[in-house]
Amino acid sequence: MRRFLSSPSAVVGTTLLVLVLFAALFGPLIAPYDPQEFHPLARLQGPSASYWLGTDQFGRDLLSRILSGAPATIAFGVFSTTIGVVVGSLIGVIAGVSSGWVDSTIMRILDGLLAVPDLLFTLLIVTVLGGGMEHALLAVAVAFTPGMARIARSAVLSVRTRDYVRAAVARGESGLYIVGREVLPNALSPIVVEATIRVSFAIMIGATLGFLGLGAQPPSTEWGLMVSEARQFMFRNPWCVAIPGLSIATAALGFNLFGDALRDALDPRRSH
Amino acid sequence: MSAALTSAEAKAASKEKPALAVHKYSLSYRTEAGLIAALRNIDLTIAKGETVGLVGESGSGKSSMAWSIMRYLPPNAVEQGGAIRLAGEEILDYTPHEMATIRGSRVPMVFQDPSTSLNPTIRLGEQIAEVLIRHRGLTKAEAYAEAEAALARTGITHPKEMLQRYPHEASGGEKQRVVIATAFACEPELIIFDEPTTALDILTARQILDLFTRLREETNVSALYISHDLGLVSRVVDRVAVIHKGVIVENGSVDEVFRHPKADYTRQLIGAVPDPERWIGVEAPAVPQTLIRLTNAGVHYGGPSLLQRIFQPEEAGKVGFWGARNVSLDIRKGELLGVVGESGSGKSTIAKVLAGLQDFEGTLEVDGRTIGSRKAIDRAYRRRVQIVFQHPDASLNPRQKIGTIIGRPLKLYQIVPRRQVKIRVGQLLEMVRLPAAYAKRYPHQLSGGEKQRVAIARAFAAEPELVICDEVTAALDVSVQAAVAELLVKLQRDTGTACLFITHDLNLIRQLAHRIAVMRHGVLVDFFDRRDARADDRNPYTKALLDAVPVQSSSAAA
Amino acid sequence: MSRGYLIRRLLAIILVLAIVTLAVFAITTILPGNAAIMILGEYATPDAVAALERQLHLDQPWYMQYLSWVAGILHGDFGTSLRLSQPVTQVVGEAFLNSAMLALTALAAVIIVAIPLGVLAALKRGTVIDLAIGLFSYLGTALPEFVTATLLLVFLAAPNVGPFPAGGFVAPWEDLAGFAAHVILPAATLGLILLAHVSRQVRSEMSEVLASDYVRAARLKGLSERRVIWRHTLPNSLAPAVAVISLDIGYLLGGIIVVEEIFAWPGLGRVLMYALENRDLPVIQAVTLLLAAIYALSNLVSDIIIAKLDPRVRYA
Repeated sequence: MRRFLSSPSAVVGTTLLVLVLFAALFGPLIAPYDPQEFHPLARLQGPSASYWLGTDQFGRDLLSRILSGAPATIAFGVFSTTIGVVVGSLIGVIAGVSSGWVDSTIMRILDGLLAVPDLLFTLLIVTVLGGGMEHALLAVAVAFTPGMARIARSAVLSVRTRDYVRAAVARGESGLYIVGREVLPNALSPIVVEATIRVSFAIMIGATLGFLGLGAQPPSTEWGLMVSEARQFMFRNPWCVAIPGLSIATAALGFNLFGDALRDALDPRRSH
Repeated sequence: MSAALTSAEAKAASKEKPALAVHKYSLSYRTEAGLIAALRNIDLTIAKGETVGLVGESGSGKSSMAWSIMRYLPPNAVEQGGAIRLAGEEILDYTPHEMATIRGSRVPMVFQDPSTSLNPTIRLGEQIAEVLIRHRGLTKAEAYAEAEAALARTGITHPKEMLQRYPHEASGGEKQRVVIATAFACEPELIIFDEPTTALDILTARQILDLFTRLREETNVSALYISHDLGLVSRVVDRVAVIHKGVIVENGSVDEVFRHPKADYTRQLIGAVPDPERWIGVEAPAVPQTLIRLTNAGVHYGGPSLLQRIFQPEEAGKVGFWGARNVSLDIRKGELLGVVGESGSGKSTIAKVLAGLQDFEGTLEVDGRTIGSRKAIDRAYRRRVQIVFQHPDASLNPRQKIGTIIGRPLKLYQIVPRRQVKIRVGQLLEMVRLPAAYAKRYPHQLSGGEKQRVAIARAFAAEPELVICDEVTAALDVSVQAAVAELLVKLQRDTGTACLFITHDLNLIRQLAHRIAVMRHGVLVDFFDRRDARADDRNPYTKALLDAVPVQSSSAAA
Repeated sequence: MSRGYLIRRLLAIILVLAIVTLAVFAITTILPGNAAIMILGEYATPDAVAALERQLHLDQPWYMQYLSWVAGILHGDFGTSLRLSQPVTQVVGEAFLNSAMLALTALAAVIIVAIPLGVLAALKRGTVIDLAIGLFSYLGTALPEFVTATLLLVFLAAPNVGPFPAGGFVAPWEDLAGFAAHVILPAATLGLILLAHVSRQVRSEMSEVLASDYVRAARLKGLSERRVIWRHTLPNSLAPAVAVISLDIGYLLGGIIVVEEIFAWPGLGRVLMYALENRDLPVIQAVTLLLAAIYALSNLVSDIIIAKLDPRVRYA
């Protein structure tokens, strides 16, 4: 752990991540105002002693809205990634372990799905399912699945040719033992690293969907939606678009930096 | 120009001054754990025209010495006094710019692995010519002509054509000749050789050594020859310095060091050099009984893909190659059968077939039962035949404890009742001379030699009848190699297990094996009893291999 | 690189596109809503709807619809837009040209800026410059396009103050300066994420090559630092950078959808958003297929460039 925190980017990443997760868990509880409460006399204000981050077009406190929107925004990223990672890894592990025609069929289909950009794929699925938070979440999960399957497969393939796996095959171990005890524990770290980094993309895509009106719906305080609602007033008070925008960036940055640091720490070439 | 001046001075001074004089030189590295000493009070002198060998195991500091002389130290290196003089000039005082004029011209270097030390995207000709342009101020055309001549001197048959090739289009030996030609291109004073033959095959290594000897005689250059292989070094150098943990423990002429080693460590190193005349194996079984017989075994790698077969049927037939073809051999109960060959000879392919890791053609016979394919190999066979791999780092699951690793065959084959597994693991660890407490450790907490002992313990835990050892000593230091070989012999003696020992080290195999199989290009070219190794009817390839390995100085001394 | 290799790659691309068409077709056929009613309006007579359904092959099973759609594509006929009542090729064609101009501007900017930045960071590794470039690229990858776009608009396109227009499009052959003014903000938005990603990749490749045995050997041959960097290090770091750029083109194609929407750039992204809102199936299918084809082809092109950069890469 001490080695992990020896690089500055790991320290920054961990700090941001803790901050973001804290906001996601306790944000609504510590918000100074009701996020939906109008303050007609204090509309579109910059930061002040009473409104730390300023107010929006209805005079709602931006800090309170950011804090109350944190759970929706972060949970979206975490859950959609988790579903995508679990399903994708399952497919990838099956492809990597089975090899032969099963593998090549799965891979060809994945190649096809991967040729469609993530955001476009998500938009297509959202259109089919209809907008809204749950559907958007599902759409991102589906869009992530082929990429994760590919990473899981290559992780499995790289482990499969290691001598300790060959030793297990030579011993006559069952397929289940080899996959469960020898391959998976060693293939897990690249999957976890990729998943962590992908949470940041999921947060960004989720916010983008909210911005386009295809994700979270009013009166939600999801951050992407906040940017979209405040856009009309952005020239009068840049704070009301900058604050939610930078909050998204902070959350994405936290997961991104943490994932990269995790990769460095887990890379066997860099240990010892 | 000050650089021109110093080099003129150097020419005048070099008449009497030694080519290299290192005096009371110390070097440390700054790490998280504080300063770690790499070189301590080194004294090393190379006279004009002399070759000195610097011999040590990994971590001994021999490479640090090379970097110090080249003034190419990492940022965390701390020099703690001393002097390094090149033909009398103190190079510790040189600026980086002055050093750049010396590197590659007066002091070139030849590296261990030519396939990584040559730039993969630049033609070989340019990689020689750039040095000539830089240090001798030649024009491009002159440099290429000179490069061609330099290559011709190294015995390359079509030097002009070689200049146009990329590194991946040349063989390992050809590439190392290019590196050597570059080193000799600017009339060097001192060449540093860093294990120049370690990455090469036996026969190629022999040719490179001969080339080195010839060029040295022609040019009267001085050389520092760094190696881990005392036996090999003794063939090419005038004097040997043995380095151990950053200290030179022995320094003298080759003859002196071998005949009257002063330091214990030198004695240990000499003892570890495999000597084909000193038999350390077990007694051959009195009545030969066949354990496993391999008949007409063949393995074909890399068949054509479906698309290729459809669109390029004429090319598809050429795709892939035979890893092994028509190999027939038998392994007897209790014997040690050696399989030797260069890389790509198919020796490891045979190991994989026997261990049930490779699909094959032909048959495998055990106890009168005939096995025709990999899928037909059952767990009972797998228990009887165990395999130990070359790299102990790769063959132990990094996420399992040693106890789990060694205990697995015990559970899988139900060798002992479940509650006795722990006790048996302890016994097995002691059998391979490791403390029983190691059961609680993870592989990365052990040294390379210790990990290989764990892998051996795992193989013997199954109480097998045959253990396949695939280059098990190749990744280990010399002294550890000898200990692992002796351990195997002891285990064979205790258990009566047969052993298939795959290696490229002919001296080592002649110490251990009862019979030796020689493979080349996937074919078994020779198969003989150890006593007949030097018989006249040996295959010419076997003879060439035997002649290529270094002559033993230690046996002459004994 | 043999001709056989190229043929096989093109076949693989066709296979990929076949899978894409199937997937898109599957997704879009599940879409609720009747295309015939959409075209004719809600008050059409049942007879007219039935007639149009026959004309659009909607009365046939899905695989027949799929096959006739594919057959149409092979003849260059992507069908008719349900909403705009124009041939899809016409709707998509002009938009494609506009998008291509935007994407290529962004890509060129990324290549011109990102590679030198990455090289600089690798050479100045561990210094303030490296740290600044690293910080910038991390920030770049964490900003979604709509946030970057909004912030750029706030600071550079505010009414009466900002130097740039807030949106719209001028064709370069009509007014080059006008085109440049309009393209800068959307291209900058599109380029930022890629810029960050590519420069980081170049830095790490370059660092790896700088630590390689052959660069060490080049230095120990006494070569000048300039030759070590420009001849021995940089060319070998570029091949992986090309691979990354080609993968990032997928990202670029996704980003275009949002950026065009925000900056009112009349390209594929806008057409797609409009088609999605109106469930205009033929258009959705055509745009998706087109984007996937561009992506697959750009991967092939990058492989060819890599083979030119690295003599070890031989495609048989």
